Amino acid sequence: MTAATGKTEGQQERSLHALLPFLQTQSQTSLTRMYQRPSSCLSIFRLLGAVERQLVMNLLWLESSIPTSTMSSWVTKEGKTLFDDALAWLARLHILSNNTTTKLGLSPAFKTSMRHAITGGGASVSFGVPAEPDEKRPAPTIDALDAYALERWETILHYMVSSGTGQMPVKPSQGVLFLLQRNGLMAMNQGQLQITSSGFQFLLHTPHAQLWELLLQYLQMVEERQMDLVEVLSFLFMLSNMELGRVRAFYEYSTESLSDTQRAMLEDLRDYGLIWQRKAKCIFHASSRRFIPTRLATTLTSSVPPLPTATHASGAQDQGFIVLETNYRIYAYTDNPLQTAVLNLFVFVKSRFPNLVVGSITRESVRKALVNGITADQIISYLTTYAHPQMRKNKPLLPVTVQDQIRLWELERNRIKTQEGFLYTAFASQADYEYVLNYARQLDVVLWENAAKRCFFGSVEGHTNIRGFIERRTGGGG
Amino acid sequence: MNPSSHLSLIIDLSPSQWHLSAQSNNSYPLSFQTFLSHVLTFVNSHLAFKHENTLAVFGALPGRSMMLYSSLDATSANSNDPPADANSYRPFKLVNSVVANNIQKELDAIERLTEEPPVALVGALTKALCCKYQPFGPSTTRKRGNEATTSVDPRILILSVSPDLSASYIPVMNSIFSAQKLKVTIDVCKVFGEETVFLQQAAHLTGGSYIYLGRRDAFLQYLTMSFLPPPSMRHIIAVPQQDKVDFRAACFCHKNIVDIGFVCSVCLSIFCSPVPVCSTCRTKFPMKTLQHLNASRPSIPPANGVSNGAPRPPSARPNPGMSASLR
Repeated sequence: MTAATGKTEGQQERSLHALLPFLQTQSQTSLTRMYQRPSSCLSIFRLLGAVERQLVMNLLWLESSIPTSTMSSWVTKEGKTLFDDALAWLARLHILSNNTTTKLGLSPAFKTSMRHAITGGGASVSFGVPAEPDEKRPAPTIDALDAYALERWETILHYMVSSGTGQMPVKPSQGVLFLLQRNGLMAMNQGQLQITSSGFQFLLHTPHAQLWELLLQYLQMVEERQMDLVEVLSFLFMLSNMELGRVRAFYEYSTESLSDTQRAMLEDLRDYGLIWQRKAKCIFHASSRRFIPTRLATTLTSSVPPLPTATHASGAQDQGFIVLETNYRIYAYTDNPLQTAVLNLFVFVKSRFPNLVVGSITRESVRKALVNGITADQIISYLTTYAHPQMRKNKPLLPVTVQDQIRLWELERNRIKTQEGFLYTAFASQADYEYVLNYARQLDVVLWENAAKRCFFGSVEGHTNIRGFIERRTGGGG
Repeated sequence: MNPSSHLSLIIDLSPSQWHLSAQSNNSYPLSFQTFLSHVLTFVNSHLAFKHENTLAVFGALPGRSMMLYSSLDATSANSNDPPADANSYRPFKLVNSVVANNIQKELDAIERLTEEPPVALVGALTKALCCKYQPFGPSTTRKRGNEATTSVDPRILILSVSPDLSASYIPVMNSIFSAQKLKVTIDVCKVFGEETVFLQQAAHLTGGSYIYLGRRDAFLQYLTMSFLPPPSMRHIIAVPQQDKVDFRAACFCHKNIVDIGFVCSVCLSIFCSPVPVCSTCRTKFPMKTLQHLNASRPSIPPANGVSNGAPRPPSARPNPGMSASLR
């Protein structure tokens, strides 16, 4: 048991959060600017791997740097590679000060802010200024907030999934559409936005991954829109550290301490469902002066599911809703149009009932999905993630026959492998042919040869060499 | 994602021991205020480590124990909550103020007695074991994978200042066994006072780590480096293990910690001297065995430390009979 968990832990160690590679590409100055805010430090800290976090904590309260060898004596033999990885990452994110080979120490900005984050204090105002409670207009309940966030998020996904099917779902705002296009999840096709193959893959990801994928694209667009990246990131991190409303004492946050960039972001994030804002009372104020983060925002740096899955009356969706049988039949206990639409991507739906969709996985339905760019693994992982609790008693969870067949159907499509190259024909003599062929063999670029017809096929990489060789030979020969 | 972890923290709140600890003639005096601020920082670090990490804090006071904080029932709003403030992460602030206020309240409630009853460490330990090890929040039940739902690794950290209470040997051992069964790791940090035999055994038997605080001015660093990594991470980050564990037991008759004990062969009760009838299971032992054992006892039992020359029963174990055992 311990060995098994240890192994998975080790593997998970290496799976990095999607934001970290992006942060790594930022300059040291902007990172240092970001580390000046305790809330950003706390959020980035939580996105790091477990070993990195422990290292940061070990170094946090030390005034001077310590020799690397001292720290590595705290690491077991098995953890050595993880430890080295962790050091490299921390150095690349400029959390550790420059030279990590001999001495270890946190960079001063990060150290100060992280200390402030842990102990409280400082005057950075980075955790959001709470608004005075407004007795007259009570804020929505958590349930209402969740429903709001879900509605926003599902609007986006539903729009994606039903594009091109002729249905006319509610359109998300222009900003969202633009983002989806830029991300390559949707593309203009005959004057209409249509979902792309990466868009199909996107649909099968977990909500957490989907959210970060969109946000990353948003971050990449920041510079074009001439917004300050550090402020944008700080605002996201601030949101992730805010508190979801409590039952009675509700937390609204004031927009007053926000910069202009961040106010502009409010509108975008409202479209994604990360923020709830009251409708403006009069047209002179663009929007209310207070906002409430939804669960989508407050779980950005955690692994808690960001969306309450039980939207409709049936609470079973919380646990997953798909029953898959060995005869390829699938029963999905859902009344959610989005989930139905996603299933429709790779399931042949036979009948629909108020709370149940019955269908079967067929060669045709899976091929349709594969053509759309969805992989067999994605289908299987989707089915696993949303399996009904009854299914969880099975071991293995999904019937092996079905899993294998889905994989086989995928392999079917890969029977033909294409490779670019050049066909060399019309050699004057057999000797010429063999001479060139030998040369090509030495380069290991021959893909196919036929001695009877005196022709062979070489890959693109070898072409310049072979051409040069033939030219030299013909040139030299006569 | 690696699993979230649950920490149950047990704080020994013995007023007299903390008074002794703060005396300036100690090599590193540590007052309760300093101690508490370090502990609260450590608690925040634990919560910062992962969003889903949960925490419960228990206090062991003279004669009683209570829960000071639990993140499971801290979600409901309370009128005593500190006002929100833009410069601190609210969950940290909330934990700190609740724990500090509760400790203050409990310490104020202690009556002035001439003699202080021993701290109820066992009570706190049992309460910590009863604390439900569930992931935080109702929506975490759905996770990918099959066993992910139950993969919180729970642990208990005891910050002890009081000496061993030999009367509580049996309850402590029972707690250890239930901890083993629940797969709960018990970590012990001996902040002040002499080594405690029972807690050493607790840490050893549950795979936890026992640390005697040498440099008490570096308390926070000790806590961070040794007790912050959750058990699931300890195959990567090495935490200090005990070199030697004191395995001595307390006898059931006088509750003394004994070097040589006499064990009932039927129910395994431990006695400090050979007895004709086992007080637990009423087994009568033959007279001959008793004489035999009495004759083989060393005339003056060593005052302290584990003696190596403990006599063994000279012949094969009589049935029913009594056997001496080296603990």
